[in-house]
Amino acid sequence: MIRRIGLVATRDFIATVSRKGFIIGILLMPAIGVALSLLVPRLLASHAPPVHGEIRVVDRSGHVAASLQQALKPSVIAAQRDARRQRLIADAAPEAGRNLSLPAGAPPPDLAVRSLPGEVDLGPHKEALKRGEEGRPAALALVVIPPDAVVRGEGRSAYGGYELFISTALGDATESVLRDALEDVLVRARLEAAGLDADVVSIAQEVARPAATLVGEKGEQRAQRNFNRMLPFIMGALLFVAVVLCGQTLMTSLIEEKSSRVVEVLLSAVSPLELMWGKLLGQLAVGLLVMAVYIGLGVLLLLQFALFGLLDPLLIVYLVVFFLLSYLVFGALMMAVGAAVNQQADAQSLMGPIMLLLVLPYALSPVIGRNPDAPFSVVLSLVPPVNSFVMMVRLASDSPPPLWQVLLSVGIGIAGAAVAVWFAAKVFRIGLLMHGKPPNFATLLRWARQA
Amino acid sequence: MTTGGLADAVVLEGVTKRFEGLKAVDALDLRIPRGTTCGFIGPSGAGKTTAIRLILSILLPDAGRLSVLGHDDAMQAKDRIGYLPEERGVYRKMRVDAFLQYMARLKGIAPEVARERALRLLGQVGLADSASRRCEDLSKGMLQRVQFVAAIVHEPELLILDEPFSGLDPVSVQMLRGLIVEQQLRGATILFSTHVMANAEALCDHVVMIHKGRKVLDEPMSTLRRQYDLRRLHVEPLSADADLSALAGVEGVESIRPTAEGCELLLVSGAAPADVMQRVAACVPPARLEIARIRLEDVFIGLVTQEGGAESLHALRSHLQGQAQGGVA
Repeated sequence: MIRRIGLVATRDFIATVSRKGFIIGILLMPAIGVALSLLVPRLLASHAPPVHGEIRVVDRSGHVAASLQQALKPSVIAAQRDARRQRLIADAAPEAGRNLSLPAGAPPPDLAVRSLPGEVDLGPHKEALKRGEEGRPAALALVVIPPDAVVRGEGRSAYGGYELFISTALGDATESVLRDALEDVLVRARLEAAGLDADVVSIAQEVARPAATLVGEKGEQRAQRNFNRMLPFIMGALLFVAVVLCGQTLMTSLIEEKSSRVVEVLLSAVSPLELMWGKLLGQLAVGLLVMAVYIGLGVLLLLQFALFGLLDPLLIVYLVVFFLLSYLVFGALMMAVGAAVNQQADAQSLMGPIMLLLVLPYALSPVIGRNPDAPFSVVLSLVPPVNSFVMMVRLASDSPPPLWQVLLSVGIGIAGAAVAVWFAAKVFRIGLLMHGKPPNFATLLRWARQA
Repeated sequence: MTTGGLADAVVLEGVTKRFEGLKAVDALDLRIPRGTTCGFIGPSGAGKTTAIRLILSILLPDAGRLSVLGHDDAMQAKDRIGYLPEERGVYRKMRVDAFLQYMARLKGIAPEVARERALRLLGQVGLADSASRRCEDLSKGMLQRVQFVAAIVHEPELLILDEPFSGLDPVSVQMLRGLIVEQQLRGATILFSTHVMANAEALCDHVVMIHKGRKVLDEPMSTLRRQYDLRRLHVEPLSADADLSALAGVEGVESIRPTAEGCELLLVSGAAPADVMQRVAACVPPARLEIARIRLEDVFIGLVTQEGGAESLHALRSHLQGQAQGGVA
C-alpha cells in the first residue's frame, strides 16, 4: 500500500516538476522577476542616455525666467530627486531607510533656459520644436508665462497658469522635471510677491511623519503600517496561488490519465484509494516546493532591503500548516472533479463553485486584513472550506487572533480535509472508469452515497 | 459449490453486476484452472469487460463471491496479475522504458530487475531501439506491443487480456499469438476475451461463452471438438469440373453444402470419418480432403439461437464473421 502510494506520488511529482511550463512559469519567472527588480534600476541608471537641450521661456510676468534657470541646474534637480526618494522610503518602511541605498536612477537632464522677450512672435519658436534634419529639434520646449501668473489680476481669485509647448523629442521624465521646476518657481515667486518668505513657508509645510508605535496586547511595537498592510494580502496570495496551481495540476493530470485510458492499466496495479493518495501527496510535494521557492525569494527580497526583522518566522510555519489544510480540501475536491469528467471542457461547470470558494476569501483578504477582529472575519475564519485562507490573513494582520481561535480553525480545517478526501475517494471509486456524459454535483453526491 | 482450491486461478460464484438497473453480468459462475488458457467469448456488449473488471477488483460485484489466485479480493493478488485492458493507454510524455519500469515497480518488482526485464522484453518484441523514446513518438502498433510488455513485465501468474487482438495488423497478431504461447509455456494462467472466434480457436484450452451477461457455454476445447466436430468434411476437388453432387450418395454422408473451394459434407451421426473419407476420395479425387476444424462461431450462434436470442441469426453471424475478418484491419 505505502509502496504503491509512494511510487505514484514520485511519478506525479517528477512528471509535474520536469514539465517545461512548470520550470519556466513557476520557478524561473518569479526568480527572474526578483532578479530584475533588484537589477533593473541599476541598469537603467547606468545606461540611460543623458538628456540635454534648450528650454525657451517667454516670461510675461518678469519674475520667473531667471529663477527657472537656477531651478533647472542638474545639481538642483538631483538634490530634489534625492529628497523625494528619501521621503518615499521613509513613508513605506521607516526602519529600512537608514540601511537602504536605492540606486540613483538616470542622471538629471542638462537643460539650458533661453529667455525670450514678452512680445515675441511664437510661430518661429514653435517651429524650432520640430525635429530637424538630424532628428534633433532646436529646442525641447517653449514655455509661455502670462503676466498674471505671479501677481493676480485686479479682482481675480486665481493666478494665471502657463502654456507649455513641447517637442516630440522631450521625454516624459524630463517633462515632469520641467513641470516640477516651473511649479516650484511659480509658487516661490507668488509667495515673495505676497510678501512671504518662501523658505519659511516651505519649512512650515514639512511635518515629519514618524512611524506609529502600535500598542497591542503583546506590548508596544514599532508599526510598519505599509508592510503590515501588505502582509495579509501577500500571505493570502501565496496560499491562493499554491493551492490553485496544485489543484489544477491534479485535475488536469487525472483528466489526461482518464482520456488516455492509462487509468485502467493503473487500476489493475493499484487501488483507487492508493492512486488518489499517491496523486494527492505527489502534488503536495510540488506545492511545498513552490512555496519554498516563493518564500525563499520573498525572504531574499526582505533581506535585500533589510526588512527581514519585520517578518515573524512563526507566520511561515502557519503558512505551511494552512497550505496543507486548504490544499487537502481543494486538492481533493478538484481531483474528484478530474476523476468524474472526461475532458477539460466538462470540468468547467463543476469547477465554478470550487473556484468561487477559493477566490472569495482571496478577494476579501485586504478587507479582512484591515479588520481582523470584526465578527465577519472571525466567523469566516472558522467556516470550512474558506477558514484556512481567512485565518492565514488574520494571522498576518497586525492584530493576530488568539491562539484558541487558531487551533480551532486548524481543527476545523482537519475535519474539512477529512470530509473532502472521503468524498474524493468515493467519487474515485466510481468515476474513474465512467466515460459518459459529464456528471453534475448531484450525480457526484449520489456516487458518494453509493460507493 | 466448493470454494476454489489451489487448483483454480479464478473462481466466480453467482457474481452479478448491475449498471443503472441493467445487468451487465448476471449470476456468473466461472472456474479457470491454473495453467490453462481460457477464451472468454461473446459479441460486443455481452459483459466480457465487466466480468474481467470484476475479477480484477476494479469493479465490485453487487452479489456473488469471487476468488482470485486463492484470495477473496483481487487487491491482495494484484501484484501477481497482469492485465491488458481493451482501451489501452500509456503516459504519453513518459519514456517507454520508464513507463515499463514504473508498471513493474507498481507490481512489486525491484528497480534493477524491473529495468533488466523491461529492456529484455522490449528486445523480444522488436522495440529495443525505442526504449528511450517517449511513448507519444511511437506508432500505434508499437504502443500495443509496449502495452503487452507492461502486462507481462512482472511475470504474472494470471494474465488477463481484454480483446488483445483488436486493432492489430496481421503481423502484429502473429507476434502477439507467439507471445501468448510463450506465457502459456511459462505456466501462466491466461484469460482472454475476444469476439474474434478464430483467435480463440487457435489459442484456448477452454472456452466460456457469454451472452447478455449470462454464461451460455463453459467447456474445454477438446470436448467442443468432440461434440461439434468430426461430423463435417471439407472437400476441394482436384479437377474444377468434378461432379460434387455425386458425393451426396456416398454412404455415411447426410447432406452436402457447396463452398467456394468445393463443398462441405455433414456426416451421418455415428459414421466413422476415416471410412467416409476413403469413400469420398474414391468418388471424387480430392486436392484437399480434411475434417473441418471447429468453428466457435457456429457453436455460439447455435447456442444463442437455441436460447431464443433477440438478434436475428444473420445479424449475429455477420457481426462475428465481419469482425473476424475486419478485426485484423
